Amino acid sequence: MGKNTYIFFIVSLIFLNSIFLFASGKQEAVKSPEQHYKFYVVTHGGISDPFWAVVKKGAKDAGDMFNCDVIYLGPETFSIQKLVDMVETAIAGKPDGLVVTITDAQALDKPLRAAIEAGIPVIAINVPDSRENYDKIPYLAYVGTDDYTMGIEAAKRMLEEFGTGKPERAVILVHEVGNAGLEARARGIIEVFMEHDISIEKLAGSPNASENYQVVDAYLTKHPETDAIFTFGPLGADPVINLIEDKNLAGKVKLGGVDLSISMIKAIREGDMVFTVDQQQYLQGYLPIDFLVLYNKYGLIPTGDIITGPSIVDIGNVDSVADMVNKRFR
Amino acid sequence: MIQKKLIGIVNRTLRIREIGSLSGLLIIILVFAFLSEHFLTLANFVGIFTMTAELGIIAIGVTFLMISGEFDLSVGSVFAVAPMTGAILMNNGVPPLFGVLAGLLVAAAIGFLNGFVLIKTKIPSFIVTLGSMMFFRGLLLAFSGGFQISYLGENNSFLNALGGKIFFGMRASGIWFIICTVIFSLILNRTKYGNHVFAVGGNQEAAKAIGINVSKVKIINFVVCSVMAGFAGFTMFGRFNSIDPTAGLQLELEAIASAVIGGAVLTGGYGSIIGAFIGAFLIGILRSGLILAGAPSYWYKAFIGIILVASVILNTKIRKTVAG
Repeated sequence: MGKNTYIFFIVSLIFLNSIFLFASGKQEAVKSPEQHYKFYVVTHGGISDPFWAVVKKGAKDAGDMFNCDVIYLGPETFSIQKLVDMVETAIAGKPDGLVVTITDAQALDKPLRAAIEAGIPVIAINVPDSRENYDKIPYLAYVGTDDYTMGIEAAKRMLEEFGTGKPERAVILVHEVGNAGLEARARGIIEVFMEHDISIEKLAGSPNASENYQVVDAYLTKHPETDAIFTFGPLGADPVINLIEDKNLAGKVKLGGVDLSISMIKAIREGDMVFTVDQQQYLQGYLPIDFLVLYNKYGLIPTGDIITGPSIVDIGNVDSVADMVNKRFR
Repeated sequence: MIQKKLIGIVNRTLRIREIGSLSGLLIIILVFAFLSEHFLTLANFVGIFTMTAELGIIAIGVTFLMISGEFDLSVGSVFAVAPMTGAILMNNGVPPLFGVLAGLLVAAAIGFLNGFVLIKTKIPSFIVTLGSMMFFRGLLLAFSGGFQISYLGENNSFLNALGGKIFFGMRASGIWFIICTVIFSLILNRTKYGNHVFAVGGNQEAAKAIGINVSKVKIINFVVCSVMAGFAGFTMFGRFNSIDPTAGLQLELEAIASAVIGGAVLTGGYGSIIGAFIGAFLIGILRSGLILAGAPSYWYKAFIGIILVASVILNTKIRKTVAG
C-alpha cells in the first residue's frame, strides 16, 4: 500500500497544481503569421494587492488587444530584493520589452542598463527614476504619477474639507511599513501638513484588518482631538471605515484615502470617507504594452512622461467612477 | 512554621502552568496603566480583547498542536483560504451556514493533508507546513487575482453570530474565543485524549510503547489546528463582511509567539490553552498600550520580540525552579 499511495499522492498533487495554474493564468494569445511579441511587466506591487491587480488587467487587456504575450511578475509583499531578482529573471527570458517600476533606482540601475544595452526596450511605470538627468536609467518612457505627488494632493484636498479652519490633528495609517510607495505618499502628506503647522503622525499597521482597526482605535483614544485620517488603498481604508461606522465618527473625523476600491466607493457614497486620490493605474498597465508594440514595429515612442494622476474622487464624481471600479478598470 | 507554609504557597503558585504568562501580563498592564490614563478602562480592555480574539483562536489550535510536538506554519494561509471559500460560495447563493461549513471543511482537509504528509514522509512539520503555507497562499492569490471578496448577500444574521456586535464593544469573536479556550482547556486537562496529546509531545517513543496511536493523535491535532485557524478567519469575515487574500499574512508567527508566551515549549509535551489565551491577550495589550502611552507605533514589532524572549526566559526559569 505504501509505495503506491505515495506515487498516487505525488501525481495527483502535480496534476492538481497544473490544473490550477492552467485555469488561473493562461496568457497565450492566438498565434498569428506576423511577429508575436513577448513582454514582461515587473512591479514591486504585491500580487495580492488589488491596486496592482488593475495594472495587471490593463497589461493583460493590452496583450489581448495587440496580440502579444504579457507576463506579469510581482512579489507577494513589498520587497526590493525580490523585485530585482524578478527583473533579472525577466531579462534572462530575452523579451521584446520590459515594463518596470523603478522603486529603487540604485538597485535597478545595473540590471536595467544591461538590459537596455542588450537591446531590450524598457518602459518605467508607477515610480520613476527620480535622480538627476545624467544619472537616470535611460528607459524609453515613463507612465504614471508619483506617490509623493499623490500624497501632496491628498493633503491639499483634506485641507479643503476644513475651509478656513484647519484640522487639529491628523494621523496616517501605513499598512505596509517600509513600502517605498506608501512612505512616499506619507512624506507628501506630512510636508503639506507641517507647512500648515498641523500635528501629524504615522501609524504602523499591517495587511491584517483587525490589527489596523485596533491600532487606529487606540490612537483615537489617545488623541481624541484627531479629526483627519489618511489611509492607503483598501487594506488601510476598510478597517478604518469600519471603525468610523462602529463609533459613529462620520463627520467628526474625516477620512481620506489613496487608490480606489469598491469598499471605498461605497464609503464615499455613505459619507464615511470624504475622498480618495486615484492614479488610473489601468493606464500604467495598458499603455506601456501599446508603446512597446509600436516601438518594436515602427520605432515610435512618446518623448515625454505620460502622467496618469492624481485625480480626486469624492462625492461629486463617485458615481461615474463606481462603474469602472466594479469592472476593475480603476 | 510560617516560613514553611509560605514556601509551600510559593511552590504551589509556581506550579500553576500559567504563572509565567500571568505575571508577565500583570507587569505589562501595570506598566501601561502607569504610562497612560486611558489604559485602565473597561472599554479599552473589552476592545483589545475583542480585537485579539482572532489571534487567540488561532493560538489555541497552535498550542494544542505544539503540545503534541508539532508546528503548523500554514495557519495564516488557512485563516484566509477558509473564509474566501465560504465567501465565494455565499456570493453564489449558498446559504451562509453551508458556506461556513464548506470553508471549515476545506480547513480540515488542509490540516489532514499536513498531518498525512508528515506521517508518511517523516519530514519535520516545520517544513511540511511551511510548504503548505506557501502553496495555499499561492492558490489563494491565483484564484482571487489580488481582489478582496465582499459578502454581497442580504442574510447577515449568521455572519453576525460569528463576528457581529454583542454589547459595549464586545463582539461575537470574543465570546467564541472564551468558549474555545474553555472547551480545549477541558479536553487537554480532563480527558484521556488530552493525556495522549501531552504524552505524544513529551516522549513519542514512550507514548507508542504504552499503546497510544501517535499518528492518529498528530493528524487529529493538525486538523484541529487548521479548523481553528479557519474558524478565526470566519470570525474576522463576520466582522468586516469581506476578506482579503493577504489576510493572515505573518499571523502564524504571532500565533506561535502567543503559544510560547503562554508557556508552551517548542519541543512539545508542555503548554497551556489558558496560557495561549493570556499570550494572545498580552500581544493585543502591547499593541494598544504602546500607542496609548504615546510610543512611536513603528516600535511595536521590536517590543514584541523583546517580550517574547523575556517571557520564554521567565517561563523556563519558573519551570526549572519547580522541577529542580
